[in-house]
Amino acid sequence: MSQVLNNAARVVGRVPAIHASQLTKRYGTVDALKGVDLAVEPGECFGLFGPNGAGKTTMLRILTGQLRPTSGEAHVLNVDVVREPLQVKSLVGIVPEVESPPSYLTAHEYLYFVGRVRKLDRLEERIAHWFEFFDLDEGGTTLCKDLSKGTRQKLMLAAAFIHEPALVFLDEPFINLDPIYQRKLKDFLAKYVAGGGTAFMASHLLDIAGKLCHRAAVIQSGSIIATGTVDQIRAGDADLESAFLRLVGA
Amino acid sequence: MLREEFRVHASYSGQTMFVSFPFIITMFSLSIAVTSGRLFAYTPLPDAILLLHVSVFLYGLSVGAFGFLGRQYLERTTGMRNYLVAMPGILPMRFRRTFLGMFLRDAIFYMVLLLVPATVGLVLSVPVTHFRLTSIGLLFGTALLSFLLGMSLSFFVSTVYMRSRAGFVVAVAVVSAIFATAGAARVIPFSWILPSLAAHELLPPLGSDLGAAASLALFGLGIVAALITGAAILVPERFEPPTVRARNELPRIIARLGRLEGYSALLGKEFVDLQRSGTYAKMFFSFVTPLLLLSFTAWFVRYGLQVPVGFNTVFYAGMVGFFGVILYNWMNNVDATDYLATVPVSVPQVIRTKLIAFLLMTTWIGVGFVVMIAWLNADTRLLWLAIPIVLVTSLYIVVMTAYLTGLRTNSFLFDPGVLARFSVMSMLPDFGLTILSFTIDRDLRLSAIGIGLVLAILGAITYILLKGIDEKWRGTEFGE
Repeated sequence: MSQVLNNAARVVGRVPAIHASQLTKRYGTVDALKGVDLAVEPGECFGLFGPNGAGKTTMLRILTGQLRPTSGEAHVLNVDVVREPLQVKSLVGIVPEVESPPSYLTAHEYLYFVGRVRKLDRLEERIAHWFEFFDLDEGGTTLCKDLSKGTRQKLMLAAAFIHEPALVFLDEPFINLDPIYQRKLKDFLAKYVAGGGTAFMASHLLDIAGKLCHRAAVIQSGSIIATGTVDQIRAGDADLESAFLRLVGA
Repeated sequence: MLREEFRVHASYSGQTMFVSFPFIITMFSLSIAVTSGRLFAYTPLPDAILLLHVSVFLYGLSVGAFGFLGRQYLERTTGMRNYLVAMPGILPMRFRRTFLGMFLRDAIFYMVLLLVPATVGLVLSVPVTHFRLTSIGLLFGTALLSFLLGMSLSFFVSTVYMRSRAGFVVAVAVVSAIFATAGAARVIPFSWILPSLAAHELLPPLGSDLGAAASLALFGLGIVAALITGAAILVPERFEPPTVRARNELPRIIARLGRLEGYSALLGKEFVDLQRSGTYAKMFFSFVTPLLLLSFTAWFVRYGLQVPVGFNTVFYAGMVGFFGVILYNWMNNVDATDYLATVPVSVPQVIRTKLIAFLLMTTWIGVGFVVMIAWLNADTRLLWLAIPIVLVTSLYIVVMTAYLTGLRTNSFLFDPGVLARFSVMSMLPDFGLTILSFTIDRDLRLSAIGIGLVLAILGAITYILLKGIDEKWRGTEFGE
């Protein structure tokens, strides 16, 4: 974890970990994002909540250099996501919405592949750590296409953290995990953020996300309709779920 | 399913571009029809009809392998996409019914995409060619039957594969033996194994036995029905692919590729993918099959149709090089690439990796085939010229395909704009090399200079396209 702190300090300095300004994304005639502004500070866990199709995954894909915005700009760890998407990907960890590791590699081979692409040292040691953490022994010799959804999700999480990034983007990280590993991941993320790491998380599991995140934003139809600390978003409601339902008018 | 197929294709090129594909086919067919007078001077009508039916049958054969395709969709991860064929797993649908649906879908889709526009082209040519509308109708009907025969045979054999590998090998051997008997050995005419062709030969303008033609057509439809029924019976209702275990070979392979710094991890993964997905075998057969067909066609034109064309080793070398596009296409069909979006790797980098893999894996196949065909034809005197041709044209065609289609070759070749560019960029040098190969026996020195010039131009274009891949595909993401 000290490595995470070092990475964060080296890369981020005093600028926001994530800064987005007037981001828009248009698919044909549909506006997926409508001028979104966002800033996430280093060492913060930030939640992005919204109904299905609100623009969460689009936002996350733009911020990780996977998708070009129609207009606006965004910087992640002080790197322009449009101009240098590869640099962004080399610095951050990404857990995508759909867990789709390569069909024909074993879990061990996939982590080895990711480690080699990221030019990591102590690779076998890192793989052994994540195998133990997520109990991935099943995937040692089984091809990824034959792994359960939960194991594939664990594998994608391990791949996202294997290089000890200063910032991680997590799209529904708890989906497919059983309660034991949901708890384990939640504890790990809490430690990761306490150790200086930054997490940007899109999730529908408001109970877990609400306990983990310091600040959050609610997005609906491509626009941010509320942002602030979790308490500010709750604004007197009994829980985050009630506040969310009120905000999106459900 | 029809809507899904249309949307899958249209998602790559846009609806307007995709819909214009049949229009291009119509124009192509129209232009062939208008110039058919000259064509028939060299290839008599019965031979032209024979070639047409064999071609349409092969076309059907290429689109009917649902056993392979469906299995692929069901087995491997498809990233952010999902297909109706996988729905029986979660909906009260039967795999048997779904596969039959796929057959009907593709029969209609590819008929509308190619056969109907080609027929419309012939109809439009009537004011110039004075073809009879009834003849065009009969041509369409019998060609459609040839197409369905190819599709149903392919469907049947691929579902045999789902049940038994040994059964599949036997089925392929039997079909190959029947076609070899008709094609290479000329023991039986093609019309004996293609009832659609036999029926066509009994209809105007070639014949006038309507009753016998109708019987043969019904017989052909019976074969189609029998093959589809057989295939449907063979489709397993419970699809439970066995869990595959493998040794962790990737680290060793990457270590071996250590010299290719920057590409070793991607390249190592490419080799492991190709091996474990069974794509090596598919690549081998899909490369060797057209080469054998080419050899047969050359033999057929020379000895069957008695057309005095000198097919030498140089001719084959040019053709072999251009088949490289099939291999590159297979390399892009191994697995979804969505996960690569989470690591610092770009689309151009992966395209270049596939090009390196192509060079390392397949160069020897092309060279080996040319050496073998030269030896079989006792024409080894031209190997010094043929080997550079196969090397340069292979590299050119694959780099050109990679430049035009990126990581979605199969899909982008349905984009009329891309297809037009691909056709021009592949046909022009191919024609040039073919014509030059025919002039070798008249003036070897002049031909060699001409060929050298063509290869130099292709080499230069290859270099430019290779450099251009980065610029063209830099903004593209995996899974787009």
